[in-house]
Amino acid sequence: MPELLTLENVWAGYGDAVVLEDISLTLGEGDSLSLLGRNGMGKTTLFSTLMGAARHRSGAIRFAGRDLTRVPAHARAHSGLGWVPQERDIFPSLTVEENLTVVATRGPWTLQRVYEMFPRLKERRGNMGNQLSGGEQQMLAMGRALMLNPRLLLLDEPMEGLAPLIVQELMTIIQRLTEDSGMAIILVEQHARQILPLTRQALVLERGKAVYRGDSETLLNDRALLDGWLGVVAH
Amino acid sequence: MKAIDIIHAEHRALGAVLQAFGFILDEVRDGRLKPDFTLLEAMIEYITEVPDKLHHPKEDEVLFVALRARLPQAGALIDKLQHDHAEGNRHIAELRDTLRRYREEGPEGFRTFEATARAYIANSWSHVALEERELLPLARKGLSEGEWANIDAAFEANKDPWSGPTGEFRSLFTRIVSMVPAPHGLGPSAGSDT
Repeated sequence: MPELLTLENVWAGYGDAVVLEDISLTLGEGDSLSLLGRNGMGKTTLFSTLMGAARHRSGAIRFAGRDLTRVPAHARAHSGLGWVPQERDIFPSLTVEENLTVVATRGPWTLQRVYEMFPRLKERRGNMGNQLSGGEQQMLAMGRALMLNPRLLLLDEPMEGLAPLIVQELMTIIQRLTEDSGMAIILVEQHARQILPLTRQALVLERGKAVYRGDSETLLNDRALLDGWLGVVAH
Repeated sequence: MKAIDIIHAEHRALGAVLQAFGFILDEVRDGRLKPDFTLLEAMIEYITEVPDKLHHPKEDEVLFVALRARLPQAGALIDKLQHDHAEGNRHIAELRDTLRRYREEGPEGFRTFEATARAYIANSWSHVALEERELLPLARKGLSEGEWANIDAAFEANKDPWSGPTGEFRSLFTRIVSMVPAPHGLGPSAGSDT
């Protein structure tokens, strides 16, 4: 699996505050990683650091053979990183189709392919972003990120606040993305036992430090580790 | 213990549909939603077929057999769970019959259907709770690594546990999600004109 993303001893945070301490990880093309930890442990900050929205203090970040720290924040989305933030970040005043096409870049993810993945978006293509339910908005946010044809998709708590029925449906879609898309994926979620089966690797953060880096399956099968780091969310 | 993860995953999928089913009953009872019989039939198909065809056979034929052999003290609990599995067929027939009568009789048939459906939902939750709170902790502690390896292998033979042999239950689930009104599903919310 050719290397896509490498972090070496990365320290980052906001202003003078350090949130991430000495983080290292490697992700290959098409690989998948569960990024786990309790609230406030630095998961979203890691995404913000990759996207240039947090202050990178030291350490190397290489993405697709480039030094990512030298790529301006505004250019990172077009350098192969697709971010689906918790806030979903869709345009309420554009239609579903406009939301998708306005960010489109050339590549395997076309409007038709996104509609195949999310048939509901096709049904709602003429509706405005602000007319969508929470589940539809999450699908649109994921569809927008795919239209950028990223090599790495960052999903920040995509199931947060959604009803169980929609959570199950999104899990199926994420499983298809991790298994068949050829795109690398980092998935942040609170519910470790639900998402670990979907990814090959896992990274657990505790107070900004990596306390586990390895196979998802090993972590999933080690109840003591899961309970120790993730508490009730692991049950 | 992949078998336990598979059981939990199947419980989550089933629980999601049970919760949405309760929501639909609330909405119809309170006059906020007209009954959608296609949706009700799809939900009943899911909550009856998936446990009966995919979930219970793995438990009955693999996990319960190993547990009975290793932990005789779990016998009464397993008897109760297997009685629930066997009773399932009777409850399914009742549920389908009351839905058919509701469809034929109109609003007069709702109360009987609702009572049967709510009893089915409550029984399903009790069954899931009994497995998760009593049976699985017993199994986790009582079975050896070797026994778990055999159980895991048997459960994993069905790699994608809740899709069904040809993906039919996954398609059914997606169809349900698309019909259940928001915020529980992706269908238009009650009273919405969009």
